Amino acid sequence: MKAGARPSVAYVLDPGFPGGTSSAVAAELEVAVKYSKVQVYALDTRMFPGRRVAPQLKAALKRLKIQIIWDCQTISADVVIFHNPSCLKFQDQMGLRLFARHLIVVTHENFQRPGGALAFDVTKCLSQIEQGSIALHRSLAPVSKWNRQTVENWLAENPFPSSWSVLPVEWFNIFDDDFKVPTSHPKDRRGRHSRPGSEKFPNRDVLNACFPKEAENNVILGADVLMRTLDRPSYWTLFPFGSISIEQYFDEIDFLVYFTAPTWRESFGRVIAEAIAAGIIAITDPDTASTFEGGAIGASPEDVNQIIAQYVQKPDRYAEDVITAQNALSRFSPKAFGDQFNQIIQQAAGTNT
Amino acid sequence: MILLCCGQISSKHFDALALFALQLESRGHQVMIDQRFMPEDVTKQIKFEAAPFLVDVEDVTPTQVLIIGAEEISEEVQRLLSLHSFESAPPVHVIGDFKDVQTEVNARNKVAYAIGREPDLFDLAAHRWSPFVEGAIAPLLSAIDDVPQQQPGDRSRVLVYLPFEKISENETAIGQLSVIHHGQDVDLHILTNAKGKDAIASSRYAELSVFGYSELPPGDLLHYFDVLAFFGVNIPGERMAVLALNAMGAGKVVIDCTETSAFIQAGAPVVKGPVQLEALSGYLLDTVVRNRSEIGQRAQQADWLKQFDMALLERNLGVDTPQMKTLPREPQTLFLPTNGNGLGHAQRCALIAEEMAEDRAVQFAAFPSCVGLLQDRGFPCVPLVARSDQHTEEFAADLVNYLRLRNAVRAGDQLVFDGGYVFDSVYRTITRLKISAVWIRRGLWRPGQVQSVALERERAFSQVIVPKEAFEELNTDYTLGPAVKKVGPIVGRKRLTADEKTNLRERLSAHFGHSFETLVVTMLGGGVASRRAAQTQFLCSLFAQRRDCLHLVIAWPHAVVANSLYGWENSHVVQTSNAAELCQASDLCISAAGYNSFHELLYAGVPSIFIPQSAPYLDDQERRARAALDRGVAGLALDKELLHLEREVSAFLDGGKSDAIRQALSELSLPDPGNAAAARLIEEGIRP
Repeated sequence: MKAGARPSVAYVLDPGFPGGTSSAVAAELEVAVKYSKVQVYALDTRMFPGRRVAPQLKAALKRLKIQIIWDCQTISADVVIFHNPSCLKFQDQMGLRLFARHLIVVTHENFQRPGGALAFDVTKCLSQIEQGSIALHRSLAPVSKWNRQTVENWLAENPFPSSWSVLPVEWFNIFDDDFKVPTSHPKDRRGRHSRPGSEKFPNRDVLNACFPKEAENNVILGADVLMRTLDRPSYWTLFPFGSISIEQYFDEIDFLVYFTAPTWRESFGRVIAEAIAAGIIAITDPDTASTFEGGAIGASPEDVNQIIAQYVQKPDRYAEDVITAQNALSRFSPKAFGDQFNQIIQQAAGTNT
Repeated sequence: MILLCCGQISSKHFDALALFALQLESRGHQVMIDQRFMPEDVTKQIKFEAAPFLVDVEDVTPTQVLIIGAEEISEEVQRLLSLHSFESAPPVHVIGDFKDVQTEVNARNKVAYAIGREPDLFDLAAHRWSPFVEGAIAPLLSAIDDVPQQQPGDRSRVLVYLPFEKISENETAIGQLSVIHHGQDVDLHILTNAKGKDAIASSRYAELSVFGYSELPPGDLLHYFDVLAFFGVNIPGERMAVLALNAMGAGKVVIDCTETSAFIQAGAPVVKGPVQLEALSGYLLDTVVRNRSEIGQRAQQADWLKQFDMALLERNLGVDTPQMKTLPREPQTLFLPTNGNGLGHAQRCALIAEEMAEDRAVQFAAFPSCVGLLQDRGFPCVPLVARSDQHTEEFAADLVNYLRLRNAVRAGDQLVFDGGYVFDSVYRTITRLKISAVWIRRGLWRPGQVQSVALERERAFSQVIVPKEAFEELNTDYTLGPAVKKVGPIVGRKRLTADEKTNLRERLSAHFGHSFETLVVTMLGGGVASRRAAQTQFLCSLFAQRRDCLHLVIAWPHAVVANSLYGWENSHVVQTSNAAELCQASDLCISAAGYNSFHELLYAGVPSIFIPQSAPYLDDQERRARAALDRGVAGLALDKELLHLEREVSAFLDGGKSDAIRQALSELSLPDPGNAAAARLIEEGIRP
């Protein structure tokens, strides 16, 4: 490749991912086009059959005037970025050939669950990519420290070609630094939001503890399953997933209290970042909090009431801590990602000496 | 104690839960089904199968939780699993036929998310060479016995599975089965679906013994055959696959007569039989029945069958094969009289029970109308629930009774049923617990009542005791065979002496404040089967004109008595279940002609006018009454013959007919009562 020429980057993904993956890619494309010639290739996998494109991705593509390409059998680029290989878990053949100097597989899903249980059939997914690609370098790109840990543990426990490496830096989700100012009068108004999947929710005892009667507000967005439960507390305000805007939801709360099933972990935790950006204190489990390096409060469910009570009593500290968290979030800025991205693709394309 | 759940909530999954629960129970495990997994649309048969196991998870502390059919776990099931966490944190096992790693991971993950901890996983596919039935939800497993469970002797019991299509396409072939059925070498039963059963019932071969597809669980059907032949295209679903596996494990012969040789193709240790139904007879007699034990033993020893060994699952789950529980008490005989339309069945059972050996524990299970009668006679009694139009399902009461019977009876006990139609509760209890059972079945059915469907459940009983009618021409054989035993009429033995009669009449006079010369007792039935208010009122009006007469109208203790019967001069309503003594002390008894009343009056020599009940579902009371009339030992008035009734009353009380009848009765030769003989037969039927 000639010096000064912009490397070609091919994004490969199933655009049907409804949540974090599509949001992450949408934000990433806005940055990637500044440093490379981008093309986006869609996979029609058995995980999301029917050729859907997630709305957030569709909007980004429209803004960037990028036409998504379906049914391509051969993809060639300096760098191929395959987002979220778990989309291949229900099939045996990827159905296309990838040619690249550097093939980067972004591991949006953890390879293992807490405790080490397999999160999906990783071998099956990576093997399809391995067999369907010719590349000088093949890398796995974890999205967070926790995600890296699951990837490295899996690699240590499973025989897989040594030609694959793990990128030394995290392929993090991008967050704009358009942060909202925290309230100066925080109240005990709590909430959580997620897709309604069972992995996203802790058991009822934990939910009861985190959203008690004493709180002024308990808002749960994505409570589709809970809403079918007869004995749900009357002091919970429940909304189905997507039934109100995220802005409306954040207007109702001052604290995000986010715990999942203990047998599952967020790989990145966009919900945490979204809350911090919205000027809200985020409380979650220590592993999930570690991604944000001081931005989120790592705690156990039984500590939640005390933490919130302290902030309600000390509004100044609330505002300080939100701003500190927002500062921590700036490491996920478009600029930070752009610098990292540029370095990686230039290196891959052989233009970075 | 094992709690069962499944991956989805559907009738198919619930069927599988019931099947698996029954299998585990047969192995001696204490097993339950989480009732939240019961869908709306469950058939009557599956409700009967599942009901004994259903529990509210709030009420139990399981030691293991098994989730079957876990290849696909629905969101609703995840929700249910997440709602209840047992304090004891029992191991949760996810069981399925996982076709690949991802399916296995999916199942494990979904349960892990829901329960908040890691489940154990048992992959049936890992233990199998190939699936026996594609898409089966129940873990297809079987106990494998050491020796074949084959009936000794030359006579073989054969069960033939026939799909409806096979029955409808060739009625002649069913005729061939009928030939086998009537032969000397084979007891033949057919297993088919509801349509097939209806088709046979309405054919010329209605006498064949037919089981419905889910009439009994596979494990319970085992007791009815030594040889099992499958016809049709393929393996007919997982219930039949479980039946085939159970049969192989029990050392029965399984014959593959399917058009695709489906069992052979799957590698099962079965023998290949003819596809044509017509050829089955020769094949059975020439090839199979003589060698059935040896063939069955080879099936038990086959490596293929070991893939389906229930012990494999037990080892993997870490549950020991429990020892079958021994009876915590002495074996007992449980009498179950149907409620019928009066107290006759209960009275009859009580008379027999009173003749049982003193060391034999006797208990009753009876409907509310009979409980008092039985308890008054000293018998402990489990109350049953009577059918009601208020129930949402017509079988609801019988379902509850099934649960009560299962609790009341243990393996080793004996059940004695008295009634015309064998309820599902009775049929299933006998078959499930493999207990010795006796059917007391009095005769004199109306022609239309003699139907194969009413008699087919006789196969569940080891004995049928037929209490005879006093008059020989009234006795008809509905079924024959070594299990059918006849005994004399069942009648009470207590007879009042002349002094006792005088004493009783004096007490009645004092009680009612009415001095009388003539005592008349009227008992025309509870009014359930036939309305008799007009006749009773007519009699009250007759006896109101006789100042020296005391007229007692007998009603059962729980009967609703019409207000119009109160206030008559000389007539009084007496609610009692013990009318025999009043009848013996009377000068005339005007009675329906039910088996018990008729024989009690006859044997006690009481001058009587019979007004037979005529409801179509009752026995033929008019024939019975006419037999007495023809012999000059009773009067007869049909329900609409009120003027004739008036003449008869006058003839009995004024014209000396009572004395003549009393004389004729004293000279009448009657067979010995069968109470004791019936009791001895029941005692002999107790399995060691």
